[in-house]
Amino acid sequence: MSFDSATIAAFVDGELDDLTARRIEREAATDPALAAEIARYRALTARLQRHYGPVVDETIPDDFLKLLGRADADAPAVDTSLAARRDAKRARFAPMHWGAIAAALVLGLTLGTRPWQGQPDIASSGGTLIAAGGLETALDTQLASNQGADAPVRIGLSFRDTQGRYCRSFSSSGTDGIGCRNGADWQIERTLPGAKASDYRQAASGELAAAAAAMMAGDPLDEAAERDARDAGWRR
Amino acid sequence: MRFEEQLIEILPRLRRFARGLAQSAADADDLCQAALERALKSQGQWQQGTRLDSWMYRITRNLWIDERRASGRRGPHDPIDDAVVQIAGDGADHVEAGTLRGDIDGAMARLPDEQREVVILVLVEGYAYREAAEILEVPIGTVTSRLARGRETLMSLLGEAA
Repeated sequence: MSFDSATIAAFVDGELDDLTARRIEREAATDPALAAEIARYRALTARLQRHYGPVVDETIPDDFLKLLGRADADAPAVDTSLAARRDAKRARFAPMHWGAIAAALVLGLTLGTRPWQGQPDIASSGGTLIAAGGLETALDTQLASNQGADAPVRIGLSFRDTQGRYCRSFSSSGTDGIGCRNGADWQIERTLPGAKASDYRQAASGELAAAAAAMMAGDPLDEAAERDARDAGWRR
Repeated sequence: MRFEEQLIEILPRLRRFARGLAQSAADADDLCQAALERALKSQGQWQQGTRLDSWMYRITRNLWIDERRASGRRGPHDPIDDAVVQIAGDGADHVEAGTLRGDIDGAMARLPDEQREVVILVLVEGYAYREAAEILEVPIGTVTSRLARGRETLMSLLGEAA
């Protein structure tokens, strides 16, 4: 094992530069001792998060809300809890959910896309849903900081997920969702039927934001980082 | 968004942080309440555009340390300097491995305050080392060394099958 414990810790904490992280990943694939050590560190983090995570879901004491000038205790605060993130992750990986997504997509594509617009925005490649057509172009090139109000696809957040992939949330008249860069494709990780009615839109954007928060490692990309990532072809 | 509303947003996470520091739920909420009061009073010191959560964590943590100092409790090992912490690092075998298997509260309580707060900030709250260092107002190397010791101790106390 050629990595010391500080490096392993930094790796597990997401603090290593990409190059070193990739070296350690590669080496862990063939070095069981290193892999076990990484697992040991990860297990502790997971365990602590399981233990403390539920605190954020506890009801906020009325005293606090009164102190902060909010009398109605039932108004929910924005949920950035680990539990919510875990739920979102679970939902993302549950096989049933994929079925539902596929079904929603079929519906969405039938009902939502406008046949006169030609190519659908989502295609299937080897069993995976990927962005195509205008959606692919938007994910490839469009910057959240610089998009027309009437752009057919609107980019929301750009961020890196826990696997280090670039992901971008988007909304369009047909589908809202999150695409993550996998090789040369944008793999569609999360979809909701797009809707024009503003209340639906709001609900959808809240749900998408929650899904994005659950997938995100670190903060969303700022304007400059988004531009840099685009200019570098969204390569990891 | 109003300052108070922003505070409400981060309150769930702040309570989690306080719970990790103070161990008991009642102490943690007292700490939170004190931190909120302090924040409302010194609202003018918070710079718009900087992270309110980091600022609140710093306030909370400083209040906690003050309180610990005032009551003469500084954790089980009275560590002033990282270097003298006996329990971790080479000393990790002083505690019987796995003795606190499953008892995370118990294991966390065995950590010196300085290590516990770093463990919570980085491992539970997910702050980057640099951010944790800013919140705690210590060099980044101090964060990594405290984290390493805290981690070793926890892994040892909780047993390998974490």
